[in-house]
Amino acid sequence: MSTPGHPAAVAAVALVVLATVLVGGFGLRISRTTSDFYVASRTVRPRLNAAAISGEYLSAASFLGIAGLVLVHGPDMLWYPVGYTAGYLVLLVFVAAPLRRSGAYTLPDFAEGRLESRQVRRLVSVFVVGAGWVYLVPQLQGAGLTLRILTGAPGWLGDVLVASVVVVAVAAGGMRSITFVQVFQYWLKLTALLVPAIFLVLAWQGDGRPRVSFDEQISVFRADHPLYATYGLIVATFLGTMGLPHVVVRFYTSPNGRDARRTTVAVLALVGLFYLLPPVYGALGRLYAPELMHGDAADAAVLLLPARVIGGLGGDLLGALLAGGAFAAFLSTASGLTMAVAGVITQDVLPSRGVRHFRLATVLAIAVPLAGSLVVSRVPVADAVGMAFAVSASSFCPLLVLGIWWRRLTPPGAIAGLLLGGGSALLSVAITVSGAVRPPGWPHALLAWPAVWSVPVGFLAMVLVSLATPGRIPPGTNAAMTRFHLPEALTSGRVR
Amino acid sequence: MSAESTPRREVVMGEPRRVRPLPRYRAQSEIDEQTALGGAYVRSLMRSQLRAGLTVFAVLALVAGTLPLVFEALHSNAVVWAVLGFSTYPPLTLAAWWYVRRAERNERDFARLVEGLPAP
Amino acid sequence: MTGAGVAVIAVLVLLLFGTGFLLGRTARPVRTSDVGTPVEHATFETLHTASLAAPPLRAGLTEESARRSARRLRSLLGTDALCLTDRDRVLVWDGEGDHHGADVMRDVQGLLASGRDTAFHSDCGDLDCPLRWAVAVPLTVDHRVLGTLVAYAPRESAVLARAAGEVARWVCVQLELAELDRSRTQLIEAEIKALRAQISPHFIFNSLAAIASFVRTDPERARELLLEFADFTRYSFRRHGEFTTLADELHSIDQYLALVRARFGERLSVTLQVAPEVLPVSLPFLCLQPLVENAVKHGLEGAAGPRPYDSVRAGNEPIRITISALDAGAEAEVVIEDDGTGMEPERLRQILRGEGGTSTGIGLVNVDERLRQVYGDDYGLVIETGVGAGMKITLRLPKYRAGVHGS
Repeated sequence: MSTPGHPAAVAAVALVVLATVLVGGFGLRISRTTSDFYVASRTVRPRLNAAAISGEYLSAASFLGIAGLVLVHGPDMLWYPVGYTAGYLVLLVFVAAPLRRSGAYTLPDFAEGRLESRQVRRLVSVFVVGAGWVYLVPQLQGAGLTLRILTGAPGWLGDVLVASVVVVAVAAGGMRSITFVQVFQYWLKLTALLVPAIFLVLAWQGDGRPRVSFDEQISVFRADHPLYATYGLIVATFLGTMGLPHVVVRFYTSPNGRDARRTTVAVLALVGLFYLLPPVYGALGRLYAPELMHGDAADAAVLLLPARVIGGLGGDLLGALLAGGAFAAFLSTASGLTMAVAGVITQDVLPSRGVRHFRLATVLAIAVPLAGSLVVSRVPVADAVGMAFAVSASSFCPLLVLGIWWRRLTPPGAIAGLLLGGGSALLSVAITVSGAVRPPGWPHALLAWPAVWSVPVGFLAMVLVSLATPGRIPPGTNAAMTRFHLPEALTSGRVR
Repeated sequence: MSAESTPRREVVMGEPRRVRPLPRYRAQSEIDEQTALGGAYVRSLMRSQLRAGLTVFAVLALVAGTLPLVFEALHSNAVVWAVLGFSTYPPLTLAAWWYVRRAERNERDFARLVEGLPAP
Repeated sequence: MTGAGVAVIAVLVLLLFGTGFLLGRTARPVRTSDVGTPVEHATFETLHTASLAAPPLRAGLTEESARRSARRLRSLLGTDALCLTDRDRVLVWDGEGDHHGADVMRDVQGLLASGRDTAFHSDCGDLDCPLRWAVAVPLTVDHRVLGTLVAYAPRESAVLARAAGEVARWVCVQLELAELDRSRTQLIEAEIKALRAQISPHFIFNSLAAIASFVRTDPERARELLLEFADFTRYSFRRHGEFTTLADELHSIDQYLALVRARFGERLSVTLQVAPEVLPVSLPFLCLQPLVENAVKHGLEGAAGPRPYDSVRAGNEPIRITISALDAGAEAEVVIEDDGTGMEPERLRQILRGEGGTSTGIGLVNVDERLRQVYGDDYGLVIETGVGAGMKITLRLPKYRAGVHGS
């Protein structure tokens, strides 16, 4: 890379890593006396929880990936942040409150509680682990890229570094009060992106506001059926957010369904606020770092811009801030996902329970995607994350929406929908990533953006098979529906 | 927690009792939940909530479904930039806020409806 | 050897063989078969029928269980009609001639009083009715007659009388088991009730006394404490719902500690570490409160040995209690630790086995039992203690378990 790493950037990364571990490990140790009992036993307020959810959600794809894609492919790529945000609106209107009221901690919990079937539970577990792994791979690759840009270290080092930090932090129990860590990460990420952006825009104005041109289109990877790809992206991100394992887990922290709804609105606002920034980097990157369009390092645009545009010590410091923010993004999303996946592995895969098994599960949860990230070819980060959304949209979205709103859903129907919808999406992703089907042509487009067809397949399979097996409607369906939808005012004995 | 000088502790656990875990789906709580209000009431609540949700979703789907076509027709990067880059997030948040208000009002109305009933 | 001698021996040998052969014939089964003899098959069938009749009876003697087991019982006895009653009415009539049902209760009155088998002729007006004779046997549990089993036949039959007696005895065993199941759950319920009641007499008296002492000096504080007290008791005596949330349970503990502190002032120092992620976790009602109470009790007992609840602790150093609830992935980990007198591990083991006797550990045992019952044997209490080493109690609570919903 043209810009050599500056010690400040390395120091910023080290600082973020250290702060993450310390806030997680010691944030809770600050002892509170009984006078704070009331404070301690008060549940997490929606705004705090929303910042935590946003902190966990804004991943490498958001921090680096969007700017990179906008730089290479132009403003059409802004559908990514719009989709990541709109997904929360769909989650809000169909899922948020009922999911919280179901009491489920993970998606397998929800499936078991609603359908009263261990088989469905196990299948959902498989998909949660699968989707989580698909999502983890680009996080690790992004970390590898960042470290390579900063220090010139070989690409695999960053992957391994983030993976090990996550294992240490999660498995050693250092992330015990993860809410505060994630809140910290959100504001860190926002600041890390906002402050340099202000300086960059000022510099751009000082330059005499050169026009950003997006005329040069590049036809790598996606250009042969752009409209279809856009729709595939919209469907996947709009419907996929609700099923992401680390998102679901966080809703458990809300004290009740009503707060879960309010939390979601706050998340929408916070995430929307954040997404105003990456496009700025994308546009300026087109202007000041056009050579990135042709390499495989477009994702690094965000990191390189300050040095290019501003230069000097200021540029280095801003670059360091961005590097720290990027690492916060890798760590928060990767540790959230690892926790969620490890939780599912302990509960549903490993035979016996206990803390030791959770640690083993943590290692397992991140070792597989680490291996994947080292072996698999580098797909742009945002595109790879889009694939995880597609898997989630085709499997968990039908399960959640129908499970919450449709009384006639049966376990065989759920299994059929998961296998046909989610299974086909997962298969498509695997084929795309393996590189067996290459662009151009429809086969590649269909496999790289499967959501357009796999989501309807999932819904249809679930509905049709359920209708064909009316005898298998779980006996507790009505009770579950009542629990999902009844407002708290009527269920809890007292109003606080 | 305890000081260095305190005597050693030993781990004590109860013996396995081979307890039968509770039936996985406890009939009692289910019956409670059902008789408390009755399926018809819950269904009406669900319908009103689903209507609110579908309204928002329909608007969202309509806009998101037509926008790519509009962009394709206009062929202007500036428009895409302005719409997707900056002006989608406020409407999304407003829609969410409207839905929450609507859903909470539905729940309040429902609670009034149910609590106005004579006790079963 | 003479010819006579040879003859005698030959006869003896023949006799020996003959006897052996005869003995062998009578001792060995008539014939064996790899796939079972008719007798064996009959036995299997009987055992199978009995096993089918058993599950309903494990629910106790009710109309439902009687209805579901009667047909099996009748096929066990091979009679034309069979009737089960409780002490007041006919629970089920299986087979023909149910017009007799009206008279049964009259016929078994004596039996219900005496508990002895009886037989009676049914003076039926209908000449075609095959039910001419009946044998009635009591169904007893713990020497109490719960009901009767009445078997009908066309004529007197000692075989039926014997068979009815045996079947009735078998039914009794099932009913006894049912009773055992029920008393087991009753015991747990009673223990919860006792636990709730146990909070009251001593604690209520002390709390009220403490509150009373503030009435003059600090009326505002007295009023606050009284409100805490009201809230605390309301929670503890809550009637409905088996489960609660960690937030509510901690809130109740806070109130409890406020009341304790009203009495003991600064000598009680409580440190709390709670990860807000685990506050919504559902858990069995009143699972932590007894453990905290236990810790307070241990802390207040002097190092010199167990003394009454409110005795003065040796020295004036404060008692430290730490309560923490941490997030551990799919579980929450709750730890309650005190630096009090601790306990002899062997004695604690005894208490956990249910051999404690005194009221000392009833809270511990009850909590342990209920956790195991709700979450399975892996989720019992883990206690670290030693004499003079304080006590650390660790609970693991799964964040989600189907059927466990705190309201």
